[in-house]
Amino acid sequence: MLLVILSIGIQSYAQCCASGNPFISDAEQPALQSKVLTAALTYRYSHSEIFYHDDSRYRDLKFTQTANVNYTELQLAYGITKWLTVMGDLGYFFNKTLHTEGQDPMRGYGLGDAALYLKFNLYSNAKARFNISPSIGMKFPVGVFDQEVDNVKLPISVQPSSGSFKYLATVFISKGIAKKMAIAGFVSYEYAQLIESENFYYKYGQQWIGAIYFNYKIIKNLSLDLQMRNEYRAKATRENNEIVESSGYNVTYFTPQLTYAFKYNWYLSAFSDIPVYKYYNGIQMSFGYALSVRLTKKIDFIAIQTRVKAKKSN
Amino acid sequence: MERINTVTKSFSTRIDKPLDMHKIFILFILSTGMFFSCSKEKNDKSTGDITIQSLTCTVNPVKAWDTTLITVEATGSNLQYGWVANHGDFKGSGKTIKYAAGECCVGLNTITCRVFNETGESSDTIMIRVTSYYNP
Repeated sequence: MLLVILSIGIQSYAQCCASGNPFISDAEQPALQSKVLTAALTYRYSHSEIFYHDDSRYRDLKFTQTANVNYTELQLAYGITKWLTVMGDLGYFFNKTLHTEGQDPMRGYGLGDAALYLKFNLYSNAKARFNISPSIGMKFPVGVFDQEVDNVKLPISVQPSSGSFKYLATVFISKGIAKKMAIAGFVSYEYAQLIESENFYYKYGQQWIGAIYFNYKIIKNLSLDLQMRNEYRAKATRENNEIVESSGYNVTYFTPQLTYAFKYNWYLSAFSDIPVYKYYNGIQMSFGYALSVRLTKKIDFIAIQTRVKAKKSN
Repeated sequence: MERINTVTKSFSTRIDKPLDMHKIFILFILSTGMFFSCSKEKNDKSTGDITIQSLTCTVNPVKAWDTTLITVEATGSNLQYGWVANHGDFKGSGKTIKYAAGECCVGLNTITCRVFNETGESSDTIMIRVTSYYNP
């Protein structure tokens, strides 16, 4: 918790109003065991205000701008078999607000994107504590993408939905390296489909995310994750296949996370995203920081059945 | 005006190709004209008693993060105004609105104005070129 609290005070930067649902940094987990259900509710606050050009702060703008986002995400995952897990999530923005000095703020809110993933338990060795879980997924722009205020359409940057179908592929690998310690990592790729509507013609750049993290069990019910994650997004394209020069970035985050396991398989996690390196093409508002809290409930139906049978036999 | 529109579109699609002196001269003349008047495309979507007479802006091209004022003049009763930009954002509402776009939105952008009332609606578009704030 100390690391999370300290992280609030660190001046840091990352991407502003990225379109669509934000990446929840602990979303990448291995496939579940058979007949295990997890339900997680995450709340995330993020703040941005500093403009970047390449890898340094850009100070020549004659105005100030800040952005903040209050976001929540519901995630459900179920292990259908011992090798296949289905996972879905749905995001909701309480607000996605851009404040420009001397002007009324622009605020978008509402449903974001939904996502559906298939996770495969490709290799799992309980004795060696080694696991490989590839997954594929798709994001659906089910949310609000045409929000207006006084008949004036809000810009894409504050619309809750990305407006684009996206396709994802991820490989997650974890390995226990000591009694209380594990190392894990993942590589994720996202391809966004062209948005072609009456008013918009836009294609987000491809995204690559690579992460490595250490998990350490501090005490029986408390664990710490220290994650380093790199996000790369290529430049976007617009009408006539013009490249949007001020789009795309390469940001490395440090994400400390604490998780406490309560009785009856309830888990509470707190984590923050702190950029430690940033490179933005052109001039873009960079991401400041994000703070997240996640509540997870795990239900193991096989364990429940076993307990019920044991009670009956007694 | 229609000719300016046509050539402006052509310019935007061919800007990456080498230009000879003849084309540069034509583009210079056209860009001078654009300084004084904004390009505009007529849209035939019109119902009810509304007629859009003009859709103009004060500055075009406009530098990233600078503002241009766009005004629509239309006839009809109890008119309301809706605005959409394919890139960039607005400040305010009504028949005159401020448009600005950041570095993310450099290029030739389309702004659509929809005028409507209880009898129907009419819409029109204007093209505004946003130029880079930062020139390395």
